Amino acid sequence: MNAGGRILRADKLGKWYGNVLGLSDVSIEIGPGIAGLLGPNGAGKSTFMKLITGQLRPSIGTVTIAGQAVWNNPGLFRNIGFCPEQDAFYEETTGREFLSGLLSLSGFSTAEVKERAARALEFVELAADADRLIRGYSRGMRQRLKIAQAVAHEPEILILDEPLNGLDPLSKRKVIRLIKEYRTEGRTVLVSSHVLPEIEALTKSIVLVHQGKILAQGDIHYIRDLIDAHPHVVAVKTDDVRALAAIFVGQPDVLSLRFDESEGLVVFETRNRDRLFERLMKVASGDRPAVEEITSPDDNLQSVFDYLIGK
Amino acid sequence: MKLSPFLSVFRFSARLVRRSRRARLLAAVSLLPVVLAIALQITRAAVPGRPLEGLDVFSNVVMGFSLQFLVLLLSLFFGTSIVADEVDNKTLTYPATRPVSRATFILGKYAAAVSFLLVLVLASTILSFLILMIDRLSYGTAWAFLGRSLAALSFATVCYTALFTMAGTFLRKSILFGLVFCFGWENVVQYFPGTTQKFTIMHYLKSLLPGLQAGAGGTDNAGMLKFLLFRHEPTSVPVAVLTLVILTAAFLALACFLFSRKEYLFDE
Repeated sequence: MNAGGRILRADKLGKWYGNVLGLSDVSIEIGPGIAGLLGPNGAGKSTFMKLITGQLRPSIGTVTIAGQAVWNNPGLFRNIGFCPEQDAFYEETTGREFLSGLLSLSGFSTAEVKERAARALEFVELAADADRLIRGYSRGMRQRLKIAQAVAHEPEILILDEPLNGLDPLSKRKVIRLIKEYRTEGRTVLVSSHVLPEIEALTKSIVLVHQGKILAQGDIHYIRDLIDAHPHVVAVKTDDVRALAAIFVGQPDVLSLRFDESEGLVVFETRNRDRLFERLMKVASGDRPAVEEITSPDDNLQSVFDYLIGK
Repeated sequence: MKLSPFLSVFRFSARLVRRSRRARLLAAVSLLPVVLAIALQITRAAVPGRPLEGLDVFSNVVMGFSLQFLVLLLSLFFGTSIVADEVDNKTLTYPATRPVSRATFILGKYAAAVSFLLVLVLASTILSFLILMIDRLSYGTAWAFLGRSLAALSFATVCYTALFTMAGTFLRKSILFGLVFCFGWENVVQYFPGTTQKFTIMHYLKSLLPGLQAGAGGTDNAGMLKFLLFRHEPTSVPVAVLTLVILTAAFLALACFLFSRKEYLFDE
């Protein structure tokens, strides 16, 4: 397939659910490689995923794959693999039957179905459990089976909606490795997540989505710069708030400082989180004041988005 | 061997139908006429006086139950679930992202459900017949009666399942609609005199039953279906068959049309 066949394009794409905005004025082009769609829950990621997989019809604008409109165009799905967010299966089938059934819908012969199902199960390391009923699978196995059904027909474009959701660290590592392996031969992979480190583990190319709009798009370093320019809040639990506050007050990297004696908490605002952590580590290694816990309550995507949209 | 998209959907859906809990439950329900036939056969032998005629029992009890209740119930629960189950279980995403048109998908699923239902309904009816007619199996009229009864039940299964498949594509509470339609409209309006009863599917199904067609030997069997055919003013068999075929085709065409255009939101 030529590279044009792997290009996913949205042009002024919008989707309304009655009076509720799902997605607004999204124009984007995604080509070969892995692209990460990042946004908090309810940002419009799943709506975008459903629009580009033909499950929803655009209210306005167009979405095309290889130059063809997606809605009501089943032929396109010979080259698209989709892993949905929801944990839904035909529970009374085995993993092998599930894959074989879906592969037969993709138009493969009986022999090809058998071979491809076996290969996909091998790929996601489920071959040993292939003949067990899906309802007995663990969360990680179910997630890998969803990936298997998305890749079994070896599509040029792979779309994964929150594929790491709810997985334990070991399963996450496995799934990340699988996705990376799939990105060979110039295939296009689009992955959505609401967790920045998960996307970072997969790709450097990121699209930030918020409130149904694309907020920023680019390299991970650009996004990281935006995040780093954002004042960070760091909360420290200590046995002596006044002593700890006294050490940090007036330091150039501390923008503001407040403390709550009853909670034993000192809250810093800083533009240089690394420098602040360095100082905190020095204090923690001494005897007094004792540093019991360090948390960064705004080190999450929502606060980054709030910052970017100027809240 | 490469299967056509329709056959692929049919085969995959048939497997899912067979494995479902609903299928096991409704298969048990479909055996009720057989249980009834066994019970009646035992009672018949035990009760002194004039024994009930096997064909009388089959035509009035078994056929009455199967046509007026069992087929409606099975068609309702299988037909409405063809789309509703995929939406409720959020599995519609899988077939919706395969190179199979939505029309092919719904027709394949419909065919799988109807095949399964036909096996249940026809097996239950034939078994009931054999049990009740065990001592009269050489009775030629009875076999002819059975043939017409099976035809009526088959048309009922095909037509009602198509109707409920269509309802399931666009109604959120398609079961409720089905219950009202089956046990409200169909079971009441079929007894209205004149043209009104022709607005029910049941009217055309009952027109396929033996013993009622003018000049078709109706007088011989006049007593056999007195409950089922109460106040029935039959339509000729060819017209009844044509009407049922047209209705089934129309329901399925509408189901395909609606299913192809509707967006399904799993969390709505």
